[in-house]
Amino acid sequence: MSAEQTSLLQGTLDLLILKSLIAGEMHGLGVSRRIQQITGGTFVVKPGSLFPALHRMEEEGWISSFWGESENNRRAKYYRLTKPGRKQLEAETKRWGRISWAIAQALEAS
Amino acid sequence: MPLFAKVQSFLRNFFSSRHVDIDLDQEVHAHLELLTAENIRAGMPPHEAQRAARIELGGIEQVKEQVREQRLGNWLHSVLSDCRYGLRQLRKNLGATAVMVFTLALGIGATTAIFSVVYGVLLRPLPFTDSSRIMAIFEVNSKGGWSHLADPNFDDFRDQNRSFQTIAKYQNSGDVSVSGASRPTRTTATSVSPDFLKIFGVQPFLGRDFSASDSKKGAALVVLASYGYWRQYLASSPDLSQSHLKIGGAVYSVIGVLPDGFRFPSDVSLWLPADVGGENPSRTAHNYLAVGRLRDGVTFEQANRDISAIARRINDTSSEQGDYLLKDGIVVPLQESITRNARPALLVLLGAVGFLLLVACANVANLLLAQASVRERELAIRSALGAARARLIRQFLTEAFLLSLVGGGLGVMGALGGVTGLIALAPQNLPRLESVSISIPVLMFAFLLSTAVAAGLGAFTAARATSDDPRNSLAEGGRGQAGSQGSQRVGRVIVAAQIAITLVLVIGAGLLGRSLRKVLEVNPGFRVDQVVTMDVSLPDADDPKAKASQAIFFSNLMDRIKQVPGVRKVGATSGLPMDGGLPDGMFLLMSQSEIPKKMDDFGALFQQRERIGNADFCVATDGYFQVLGIPLIRGRIFDERDGPNFPHVAVISESLARDRWPNQDPIGHTIEFGNMDGDLRLLTIVGIVGDTHEYGLDAPPRPTVYVNLFQRPRAAITVTMLSDADTRLVTSAARGILQDLNPEIPARFRTFSQVYSASLGSRRFNVILIGFFGIVALLLATAGVFGVMAYSVSRRTREIGVRVALGAGSGDVLRMVLSQGLRTIFIGVAIGIIGSLALTRTVESLLFGVTPTDPLTFGGVTLLLVAAALLACFIPARRATKVDPMVALRYE
Repeated sequence: MSAEQTSLLQGTLDLLILKSLIAGEMHGLGVSRRIQQITGGTFVVKPGSLFPALHRMEEEGWISSFWGESENNRRAKYYRLTKPGRKQLEAETKRWGRISWAIAQALEAS
Repeated sequence: MPLFAKVQSFLRNFFSSRHVDIDLDQEVHAHLELLTAENIRAGMPPHEAQRAARIELGGIEQVKEQVREQRLGNWLHSVLSDCRYGLRQLRKNLGATAVMVFTLALGIGATTAIFSVVYGVLLRPLPFTDSSRIMAIFEVNSKGGWSHLADPNFDDFRDQNRSFQTIAKYQNSGDVSVSGASRPTRTTATSVSPDFLKIFGVQPFLGRDFSASDSKKGAALVVLASYGYWRQYLASSPDLSQSHLKIGGAVYSVIGVLPDGFRFPSDVSLWLPADVGGENPSRTAHNYLAVGRLRDGVTFEQANRDISAIARRINDTSSEQGDYLLKDGIVVPLQESITRNARPALLVLLGAVGFLLLVACANVANLLLAQASVRERELAIRSALGAARARLIRQFLTEAFLLSLVGGGLGVMGALGGVTGLIALAPQNLPRLESVSISIPVLMFAFLLSTAVAAGLGAFTAARATSDDPRNSLAEGGRGQAGSQGSQRVGRVIVAAQIAITLVLVIGAGLLGRSLRKVLEVNPGFRVDQVVTMDVSLPDADDPKAKASQAIFFSNLMDRIKQVPGVRKVGATSGLPMDGGLPDGMFLLMSQSEIPKKMDDFGALFQQRERIGNADFCVATDGYFQVLGIPLIRGRIFDERDGPNFPHVAVISESLARDRWPNQDPIGHTIEFGNMDGDLRLLTIVGIVGDTHEYGLDAPPRPTVYVNLFQRPRAAITVTMLSDADTRLVTSAARGILQDLNPEIPARFRTFSQVYSASLGSRRFNVILIGFFGIVALLLATAGVFGVMAYSVSRRTREIGVRVALGAGSGDVLRMVLSQGLRTIFIGVAIGIIGSLALTRTVESLLFGVTPTDPLTFGGVTLLLVAAALLACFIPARRATKVDPMVALRYE
């Protein structure tokens, strides 16, 4: 694991999971690898964080799960975005936009 | 939709948790395989690939636990698993669990049963609209006692107060003879002023309320009936126009029926308007009770000041100065005034049962503690494996809750039966007994009590069991024996406390029991057994002719009853002893020549101290003294000489003779006692008889003037019959004779011993209950001592074995164990005696003939308790002497 790997900010994990699932249904490892890929390797999500988050989001109704076949014909549990999940993604994206803008402003101020 | 999804997940987590878990397990394993496959594709050898995958995953079980922990409803799951685990623990020690549940059920059940009485009598609001605004109003007499109101005083209170919407007067219900309904009966009736029902916010559900004109002198006679009376005797007739009742000889029209459930004063069936015969103009004739409803915004303290000011104004200006004129007035909430006399005893009972509950809890705490120390190793392992202390405490709390709730549930079931028993046992004069039941508030109380007990026991055992460093427990457990010095010390502290509380309780019971014995030792001044009584009341009459015919009627009645086989003596009285008391008043010493011509001049005579005397007034026949065995001390009792037209005579009681005529012979003196029966003829004292305890054995005898029924006839009397025959035979014979003389007159029969024992009812009730609590507490405390000593001996088996192996004799071992027990017992007894000295003062008002610090009771109870506790120590101590050193050393 890379030394400069950044610990996940509170609340960003949900956003990242939702964002990665927009590309289509995928299993847990897929989500994890996808996050790694779209953040340029900055974020590595460990199973100990990933699975509780996935299960929680499923209970919230943002994602749904089903058993399917992996690319190498292995059984794996797949997740896909639901309609409330898409809404949640929009809301989270907006919120994150506001936060990052505010942080950027704060850092630029001298 | 999201809410729906949440509910769905919650239900699924809850109801198919096994399924959900299997799914999770498969998912994590699938993940692991995917990772491994990925690593193999990256070129790792399979073995290495698997290892790397496991490292990245970071522990299958941990991942699963992390997922589980944030699941919806996880807390419920862990509570349930605590419960399951707790139940398993309790089942494992089934014997101990049963003992604990039973002990708690006993404590909680007894407390709940007593609380239901306290709640029903003292706390439950009266069943009237806005009942907390209803006040009782009393006069305060020169001795500070509360007394009933005289008519003019009531009128002044009513007209001058600014605090009440309205006030009304009423009389305590009394028996009247009623005919004209379906059959003649003796029924309870009361006289009330017209606003009476408005104060209670009650309207007749049929017919009309009293109006002001119903109370005018000479108004047409009307009556209101209770719902029950209407159902039973008026055939539930919706048309009241034909309903007439003959009450005390006069015909009343029934004008209304009150709604079901309204009975005030208690158990009254008929309400008559007061004052139809005109008001009594005297300010010292205390004939009425009074109630009022406060105006909005007025507090009862304000009303109290208001009434008090009016009362003092009356006192300042009245011409009727003397001991019987009011000195002040007082307002108290009606509920308080009804339950005033019952309150101290009930609170003492509640306190006593609370002590019993504490003793019961102490036993359970000790058992839990013993179990906890057996479980020390388990706890140490759990905490070494990372269980948080909070989680362990929660485990203990869960177990305590299971115990208490099961115990409480059983207790409430027991209390259901207990309350029925209590009501049956309760003295007849306990007010509001009909409102005692296991009601919702009582159930709430039981639940809160169980919860409090659970929290206390759980917190206590948890704090004890988890306070140690787990390493100590593991190490100590490893050595196995010396252990738990700490928890044994706590156990002994609990037992000492238990002994102390038990001692207080048993001393309280002892004091009450000795009071009852002292009361029973009092010579009542009359015979109790073999006396049958018959209450008869004729129509009221005012003119002398009708009164004379009453005397003749009673004379015939008694003559015929004398003929009944087995009846030895017959007499009559206006009031039996211990049956509510006689009227009392002031009489005047005067001679024939001094009788004033005008009524107004009597007032001046009452100002002359040397002329007045105070006594109870009893109308009786000569036979009455013989039936009750009241001894003649000097002079004579009434006889044939004392006809209605001969000089009227009186017999006085010994205490009156002593107090009013010290160093003189009262026989031959004449007195005037006309304010009792309206007859102004002088009474010549002809005899002195023994004192009787009319108001109960624990009240001093009252000075009494007896007059002759055949000279001073009255409408209502109690016939007394001394007989060897079976009570039922006498009763039916007497009933037949009365029927024969006048079929419209109903009678009530009792044996005098019923009346007598009812007067001891509340004292007996307290002694039985507190005695029972004391005995149970004593058994529990003895069991507690036994438990702690037995446990201590079993923990010290090895130590004792070593001592014996080194040469200690069985006497040494016995002494060692006993001295340890004795120390605990003596500490408990010392605290208990100090506590008793402080607490028995609270029962002082219930005691008779013993002081709250009665040395005999203190000594006796202490001896009893020490003996019981020593016996409980002796059995384990004996067992200790039987320890075989070889077995003991190999033990474990």
